[in-house]
Amino acid sequence: MTETLLWVLPLVPTVTALLMLTTRDRRILSAIDVCGSAILLALTLVLAREVAKGGPRALGVLRIDDLGLVFLLLLVVLTLAVSIYTVGWLKQAVAVGNMKAESLRSYFALVHLFVATMVVTVLADNLGVLWIAMEGTTITSAVLIGYHGHQHGLEAAWKYIIVTTIGISFGLFGTVLVSAAAAAHGAVGADAMSWSAIMKIAPMLNPGIVRIGFIFVMVGYGTKAGLAPMHLWLPDAHSQAPTPVSALLSGVLIKCALLGIIRFQTIAAAACGPAFPAEVLLVFGLTSVVVATPFILAQNDLKRLLGYHSVEHVGIVALGLGFGGTIGTYGALLHVVNHGVTKALAFFAAGKAIARYGTRDMRVIRGLLAVAPIGATLLMLAALSLAGVPPFSIFVSELMILRAGIGQGHWVAIAIFLAMVVVIFAGLLHHVGAMVFGEPTATASREPEAWSPLLGMMLLAAIMILLGLTIPASIDGLFRRATEIVVG
Amino acid sequence: MMTGERSLGLLLFEMTFLVLLGPLVTGIIQKIKARIQCRQGAGVLQPYRDLAKLFRKGTVQADTASGLFRLIPVLVLAATVAAGALIPVVRAGPPSFPLGDALLLLGLLALARFLTAVGALDAGGAFGGMGASREMTLAPLVEPVLMMVVFSTAVAAGTTELGALAAQRGTSWVLAWHAADFLGFAAMLVLLPAETGRIPVDNPDTHLELTMLHEGMLLEHSGPGLGCMLLASHTRQIVTLGLVSALFFPIGPANGADAAGLLLGVGAFAAKILVLASYLALVESSYAKLRLFRVPQFLGIGFVCALTALALRIL
Amino acid sequence: MSAETVRTIIDDLGALLLFTMILILAAGQIYRAIYAVAAQSLLIAIAAAVLATATGNTDLWVIAGITLTVKTIVLPWVLHRVVRRMNVRREVEPVIPVAATLALAVMVVVMSFHLSATLGPVNQAITGNALPVGIALTLLGVLVMATGKTALNQMVGLFASENGIFFTAMAVTQGMPLIIEIGVILDVILAVLVMAIMVLRVRSTVDADIAGLDRLKG
Repeated sequence: MTETLLWVLPLVPTVTALLMLTTRDRRILSAIDVCGSAILLALTLVLAREVAKGGPRALGVLRIDDLGLVFLLLLVVLTLAVSIYTVGWLKQAVAVGNMKAESLRSYFALVHLFVATMVVTVLADNLGVLWIAMEGTTITSAVLIGYHGHQHGLEAAWKYIIVTTIGISFGLFGTVLVSAAAAAHGAVGADAMSWSAIMKIAPMLNPGIVRIGFIFVMVGYGTKAGLAPMHLWLPDAHSQAPTPVSALLSGVLIKCALLGIIRFQTIAAAACGPAFPAEVLLVFGLTSVVVATPFILAQNDLKRLLGYHSVEHVGIVALGLGFGGTIGTYGALLHVVNHGVTKALAFFAAGKAIARYGTRDMRVIRGLLAVAPIGATLLMLAALSLAGVPPFSIFVSELMILRAGIGQGHWVAIAIFLAMVVVIFAGLLHHVGAMVFGEPTATASREPEAWSPLLGMMLLAAIMILLGLTIPASIDGLFRRATEIVVG
Repeated sequence: MMTGERSLGLLLFEMTFLVLLGPLVTGIIQKIKARIQCRQGAGVLQPYRDLAKLFRKGTVQADTASGLFRLIPVLVLAATVAAGALIPVVRAGPPSFPLGDALLLLGLLALARFLTAVGALDAGGAFGGMGASREMTLAPLVEPVLMMVVFSTAVAAGTTELGALAAQRGTSWVLAWHAADFLGFAAMLVLLPAETGRIPVDNPDTHLELTMLHEGMLLEHSGPGLGCMLLASHTRQIVTLGLVSALFFPIGPANGADAAGLLLGVGAFAAKILVLASYLALVESSYAKLRLFRVPQFLGIGFVCALTALALRIL
Repeated sequence: MSAETVRTIIDDLGALLLFTMILILAAGQIYRAIYAVAAQSLLIAIAAAVLATATGNTDLWVIAGITLTVKTIVLPWVLHRVVRRMNVRREVEPVIPVAATLALAVMVVVMSFHLSATLGPVNQAITGNALPVGIALTLLGVLVMATGKTALNQMVGLFASENGIFFTAMAVTQGMPLIIEIGVILDVILAVLVMAIMVLRVRSTVDADIAGLDRLKG
């Protein structure tokens, strides 16, 4: 029963996508959208309960363990939030002509296909399937990024598809090398690419080959995850995509790539000792944090700001994985969830603000609090959380990562990390403070706030605050078991 | 050695054979070109007639030219013909006395090229200087590649002596080629038009200012001098083709020293040269002359191929 | 076929693959690059067929067939159509001079041979030099994607690097599992179709090559 669920899960968004093609009515499409996402969430919760009771399940090339479950839960919750948000966002976007009413169904279908490919990425046990699904996310999301059809959108989409495809070629290359190392130790056929099968023989694998393979994979999936210096596509794609897609890209997609990296990290740690993958992760993590900082400070485009901020936070996750140990890994996984939820919230709030002012230029967006009090509050909350202010959730995970770093004695990394976080804290709050407070710009729309985007945002804000205040025992258990899988 | 050594008499025969056959190859290429372009074309013996005509004529020399200018055609022809002596034609196997190897052959060809350029500069004409400067710009791209191709085969055979090299290969055919041979041969195919002064690198049919390289250097020569220069370029062409066949298709050179063996060797050599000549004619008819600054890019292909071939051999 | 023969043939095919790659790198006209990459795919298909005969692995036959139909015929045809529809200038000026690209290519090839020496333990005896050639093709394909100024060049580079990965997989494990290879090829087809649509879309709105757009900065 549970095993079948593994195959049903990716089918749900696929079927939803096909259903979308039957109608053109915006209301019906939105209804299908929300229903599909809700069903996906419900099934995932069933699966989560089964896994919590009976451990990892596998069927064919798909497999679910606690590690995958962390990412899967993040994925389905954000999908539902995006669906709810889309209802109201779309109404407004169609009204002002940002989205064409006649092509809505293909938009919805693509979003759900995108979700389906991400679900496969998370569930994939076979590293080849992982790669195929990862490239699938590139293709579907590239179309979505260029969905508006104007020149800038297409430019961003092209840059995205080329850069990530280059990167991901390296990823496949690394996968082939690792599977070759496994094949040398008797793994045959599909087993040579199965993560769980490789993990069983991982300590015996040739360390030299796994090392080279891991570096290739790190560059490959690191590109997709937005780690500097391979992040070039990220700010463009995030700023040009429709807002719900930006939220999915930043909230989930780059996290899926991180899951790919974690899978290979465990193999590499078993084959050549944990120090090697940790070092690689630390280097990429620090680079990302450092590279993102100046762009965040000198940014005028609100969505680009959030994009660069994602680069920083992916870097922080990589740092956490690099510091390693139980605390570091737990913190990194928690940070994945926290940042996913918070960044989606930030994109939602930013999207509403942008729609209200008709521009992404932060110098024009002023006095949001006066024209849209609830949206402004949510934007402020998201920004505070992103900056790492207690009691929000990101503070907790960043603290854990910091603690792990201190425990390991990585003083230089800690110093750089802290300095950058402080600078970004100041920069982000300066940007957002100026947008929220003050006299509203004359061009700002003053129509009342729509309920559905607010509902979607409230859902995420609730999770964000909850995880900041306390981590429920069931979720804590999930994270602990997931950490165990990574740390071993 | 598989096939025994080549005597002095045989070497002299081969050299004469090459020099005599040179103009014919040019004639054949011109004929094939003409046919591809749907023209009747001149007969294949036309280059001989041109040469005969030139040798009967008197000489005119520029006032600015020095005494060296008169010597140049003879020296160029001598260097090229000497290079011809190093090519195994009818039989494989090293010569029976120390003669020289592929390096000397390349050196002689380079010397001929250098003397031609010196002659062109000496005459003091603008076209000659221009042609010489262009030729010398391209030479550093062509010669190292030729050398690398020779090395990549020499490394495998353990000798740079062409006759021994050909003998070492025996009757090997494409199926027995090593991976490096394919790349070396590819480099050779790219180089051939450059080394024989043909499209797409050079245009042998014109003295137009924009297109010429080699022809520009011959402008100031006349009468028997020009005849020598032309004969030298015919010889250079057949020597280059002979080098390719010695490096890559040494199937012809027969074992036997008797008349039948010699005849067979001559026939095989003629067939190989004919194939390569048709290739040149085909390339000339199907491509346009490259702009001068595009030429290094074209030769770059050959360079990379040759280097990779060498890398494949050594690594 | 004896192992020795197979080795020789794979080696020779590897040399020809490198040659096609060099042609792609130096191609001034996009048509030539497309023909070269089609030839390259054909060589890959032949290599798969040879390996299939030698090892009796039927999966490799399927892979050879798919490679032949999809990568040698269908995708080059799609690219050809796009070029015709775009009506591009026939000669392209590369971002960095071709001579520099070729020099880089030489370095990449030498590096690949060094890298493959490190990877010795997984190199299968039967496939000879396929591993370094595969690495070189992959990296050179990426080089084409990174230095190509036009969208079409970048797409050709994508093909070439996929070809390289296939060849590598053949070298180290005698091919990826069939289902994975099919999935990978499917992805490549989809990616190329999406790219083709984007290229034509940009061409129809502004008179520019999509890869030449550079308005997004900062």
